[in-house]
Amino acid sequence: MRDAGFIFGSYLITLGAIGAFAWRTIRVGRRLADEVAEEDKPWR
Amino acid sequence: MALSDGPDLTPSPPSVGGRRPRRRIMPMVVLALVLVSGGVIITQALSTAVDYYCNVDEVGVRSGCDEGRRLRLQGTVAEGSVVTGTAATMFDIEFNGESVPVEYEGEPGGIFRECLPVVVHGVFDQSTGLFLGDRVEVKHSEEYVAVNDERLTEAEAMACQPSA
Amino acid sequence: MTTISPQRAEISSLPRGTGTRATRIIGIATIVMIAWLALFGLVLSPADRDQGDSVRIMYVHVPSVWLAYLAFIVTAVCSAIHLFGKRHSLGVDRIAGASAEIGVVFMAVTLATGMLWGRITWGVYWQWDARLTTTALLFVSYIGYLAVRGLDGTQQQRARRSAVIGLLVVLEIPLVHWSVRLWRSLHQEATVLGTDLDVSLDGLMLFSLFVGVIAFTLLFLWLVLHRSRTLTMIDLVGDRELDRAVIARRAEGGIDHA
Repeated sequence: MRDAGFIFGSYLITLGAIGAFAWRTIRVGRRLADEVAEEDKPWR
Repeated sequence: MALSDGPDLTPSPPSVGGRRPRRRIMPMVVLALVLVSGGVIITQALSTAVDYYCNVDEVGVRSGCDEGRRLRLQGTVAEGSVVTGTAATMFDIEFNGESVPVEYEGEPGGIFRECLPVVVHGVFDQSTGLFLGDRVEVKHSEEYVAVNDERLTEAEAMACQPSA
Repeated sequence: MTTISPQRAEISSLPRGTGTRATRIIGIATIVMIAWLALFGLVLSPADRDQGDSVRIMYVHVPSVWLAYLAFIVTAVCSAIHLFGKRHSLGVDRIAGASAEIGVVFMAVTLATGMLWGRITWGVYWQWDARLTTTALLFVSYIGYLAVRGLDGTQQQRARRSAVIGLLVVLEIPLVHWSVRLWRSLHQEATVLGTDLDVSLDGLMLFSLFVGVIAFTLLFLWLVLHRSRTLTMIDLVGDRELDRAVIARRAEGGIDHA
């Protein structure tokens, strides 16, 4: 495959950026969820 | 803590929210950077757009597409016209029946080959009529065809229509 | 950090943090679809006649820009609901904020993958032409939107300011989309969302693109749910800290201020 580095690189960038954002969202969410009372979480 | 007007003694109900305890600098810095980079983007785009974007058949016809100035010339690389020399690549680009010979210093990048639409940045050599390109960009079309598609032969036959 | 209230007895079947059963299902579906995207995009779909294998970048580039558009449109709709709704709801403001954050991430992905694709096919990473310039402006505008959300002020002030900006910057999207028609551009015109309904795309290529769009849409949904819930808690904790600060100042009897 020609330009394989560019092609796989674009998939890696995509997954990396999305994965990092998702991971951070989950981590901050869990930390805050431990501080906040259950009745303040309407999605529960 | 710079609360010049003293403590606010009316506690706000939690759901409404109140003044933040500390002034935050980061958003202001980011906002300033956004405004600066927005300006840079617009000036960059406008200064590059000074090179008129012309089709081959518009040279000397459309206003701005004069032979004496720097242009971005768009056309299709003519079939069988590409000659790769030691220092330069020669080829013709065509658009709408008109053709212009191009001399490009070096090897064009991208997926450059015959029958593809390209954009060449450069100036005309007034004496020879040769377009001296210093940058070639391959403008691929919005059509995608699989390599092993049965339409391939048909597509290939149609690909170089201008030279036919 | 002190625990504000003792954690209630585990609601054991529920996921932790901002998760629910719905987000768990969406999350699993997202992972499955992204695996499909890699399979179809990198393996099963054919190479392009002119572009060769570099056409595979399209399957992440195009869905990510569509989802960025979608995220920014969601932000604009929520902004409008906040501004013109009777309740001036902070809930929709948080969805607007969460959606804009996700849109910026998708936009960054679009620009990065687009630059790589451009390097392969055009021969340059960047070119100041209409499509690329307007896309860069859109990206920067939404970073500005997020910065405005971070400015000092009450939550209502934040919501009102950002709603106005959210409704203004969304107008750039049609400009970006039709920039290839308005001005001459190196960028190809839209393949699927073009003006003529005749889709100029090979069947398996179109399917791979479709897989990408589904995968990223699910991902967007999952991220918006999690992130807006997190923003709700960030606001709540901010309020609590503010209340504590006010109480502390009262206790000091206002001696502190100069």
